[in-house]
Amino acid sequence: MTLHKAWRRRFAGLFLWALAAGAGAFWLAHARLQRLQADFETDARIVHRLLSQRVVQHDAVLATLALLQPPSAPAGADATLPRLPSVYPQILSVLQRPAGGGWPAALQGPLAAAEAASRQSGHPEMALVDLPAGRYHLVLASTPASHALQIDLRATVPQDEWPMDMAASPVRVALERGSEDDGAFVVQPGRGDGAGGWGWSYAFRKPLAAPSQPLDVVALRRVGLAELPWLAMLGWCALTAALWAGGLAWWRQRVARQRAEELLRLGQVARLNTLGELAAGMAHELNQPLTALLSSTQAAQRLLGDEPPDTATARTAMARAVEQARRASTVVGRLRRLVERPDLAGQAQPLPLAAAVQDVLHLLEPELARRGIAPEVSAAPDLPPVQAEPVALQQIIHNLLMNALQALEQVPPAERRLALTLARPDAAHVALSVRDHGPGVPPEAREHLFEPFYTTRTGGLGLGLTLCESLAQAMGASLALAPATGRGAEFVLTLPAATAP
Amino acid sequence: MNNDNASSLSPLIHLVDDDAAVREGLSLLIATVGLRVQAWAEPQAFLAGFDRASIGAIVLDVRMPGTSGLTVLEQLLAQGVDQPVILLTGHGTVDMCRRAFKAGAAEFLEKPVDDEVLIEALQNAVRQHVRSRERHQADQQARERYAQLSAREREVLGLIVEGLTNKEIGRALALSPRTVETHRANLFAKLGAESLAQLIRRYAALVDAP
Repeated sequence: MTLHKAWRRRFAGLFLWALAAGAGAFWLAHARLQRLQADFETDARIVHRLLSQRVVQHDAVLATLALLQPPSAPAGADATLPRLPSVYPQILSVLQRPAGGGWPAALQGPLAAAEAASRQSGHPEMALVDLPAGRYHLVLASTPASHALQIDLRATVPQDEWPMDMAASPVRVALERGSEDDGAFVVQPGRGDGAGGWGWSYAFRKPLAAPSQPLDVVALRRVGLAELPWLAMLGWCALTAALWAGGLAWWRQRVARQRAEELLRLGQVARLNTLGELAAGMAHELNQPLTALLSSTQAAQRLLGDEPPDTATARTAMARAVEQARRASTVVGRLRRLVERPDLAGQAQPLPLAAAVQDVLHLLEPELARRGIAPEVSAAPDLPPVQAEPVALQQIIHNLLMNALQALEQVPPAERRLALTLARPDAAHVALSVRDHGPGVPPEAREHLFEPFYTTRTGGLGLGLTLCESLAQAMGASLALAPATGRGAEFVLTLPAATAP
Repeated sequence: MNNDNASSLSPLIHLVDDDAAVREGLSLLIATVGLRVQAWAEPQAFLAGFDRASIGAIVLDVRMPGTSGLTVLEQLLAQGVDQPVILLTGHGTVDMCRRAFKAGAAEFLEKPVDDEVLIEALQNAVRQHVRSRERHQADQQARERYAQLSAREREVLGLIVEGLTNKEIGRALALSPRTVETHRANLFAKLGAESLAQLIRRYAALVDAP
């Protein structure tokens, strides 16, 4: 049941991550595609405009020729015609059907047909179209002479204003005659991979803005899967995964810390509870013999005060009192053995003191941060491990630090200093000094500090240091208040160094 | 002989504590002031066996295995036992003290208890018990005597208690003053009253009761 639940939770986490990663990746791809499409459409429009402008020039040239022809001087006109191709590179040649004459014999049929059509439509007409080669003639009928231009589309394309790199661009641009299926003039080839593979394609088709040359600008852009922003998409997935893992790790660490704090606190409460129960039990255990002792001796007093004194009964009462005094002392002895905790020394093991200090500081990190205290930890080099029971050691350090923190609460935040020093007073010991810059221990309190139920704090139980001391002693360590020097209080925990095996 | 008689009439203290040494010490101490002591080791044995008619008091230890002193106190009260109860405890809390007094304890003392404190508490308790027994006996006697009166005598008593003179009573009950006089004399004799004041003090409550 719980296993199932854990799996479901893990699956839900995975699902959420996949959703976030997928959505991000999709958005990145979508944005890229939209940009590509927008770029494509912009380029296609520019191409359409450029080509339209160029093609319209042909109409203008023909109209000009028709207007400029002298009414009766065909020879003079002949002289101007050959000059045009040097001005307009796309015009390969200019033909003229003089009044009453005909087109060059080889071209007579098509040009005459186009001339007839032009005469009917009023604008130039195309003839002899060879789109794959980019060649055609444009004929404008006029009187007395009609003119025809031989056009090279290749030269019509304005290379210098072209918005794309003609050789490398993936966009295919061509001119087609929408009405007739006679091939296309390919302005730029685009990428050849065309039909194969997955992907998207954008298309653009629009007739040139010149009724005389009914050509469609056809642009096609194929986008392959390879053009998606894979690196960014993968990066996003990796980032979300890292964030997810980081968050999970942070959460686990938080939970673990809370659990550790809880355990430590529980341990202390349990010990204090035990102490409380002990006190209650002790009260009963001691009060019984004390009650008997008191009543027997007082009865004896009364009996001896009688006239005449009943010495025999009084003697019995006193004997009973002696017995009860012994009983009371047995109770105290039993209690002492109970508190001595001989088991701790047996559980002691070699462990690095610095690590234990770091563990407790880690546990207390939130408390330290809340009070704005940055503990200064310094350790002598090459400290040997100490012989101690891990939990008891942690409790002692925890208690000392909590005492220091509470002392520091009484001074302004700027003056809150806490120094932890690890030193080696002699070859057989390692000492931890915890020094705060709080108000210090008042002189009259110094000698009572370790007594049970003695406290300088209102609301304090007065058992913390007592407990620490008894824990320390049970491990063969000692806890002392350092002589007052300067400001604050300094406690020194001296632990036996672990002997090398 | 004389001595024996006196001791059997002297108040009896019931002492309940599971600790033999405490029982012995306290018994001896209580005996030094001439009170008789009966010590019990177990609350259940005490509840089953102690003399409910005796004059005296009960001393209970709070902390006993099995039944706590407070529970015993509650049981005694439920059974209508009228002996005052003194509780003894090793570590009394305010809460426990409150519970004890609520349950009807006469006194709540901490162990170890000083002789004077204990003896004074016991003597107070015994005095209180004797007075309550006397009051109880007087009430009992008054009830028995009142039961012997005839219906007419009760009517006359009621009007006397209300403060009417013989003449007024005769008028109220349509009797001659002489007859009222006779009833009045019989009534005083039957109830053993020596004065009008005594009569009213003892019997006013009974007349008012149905």
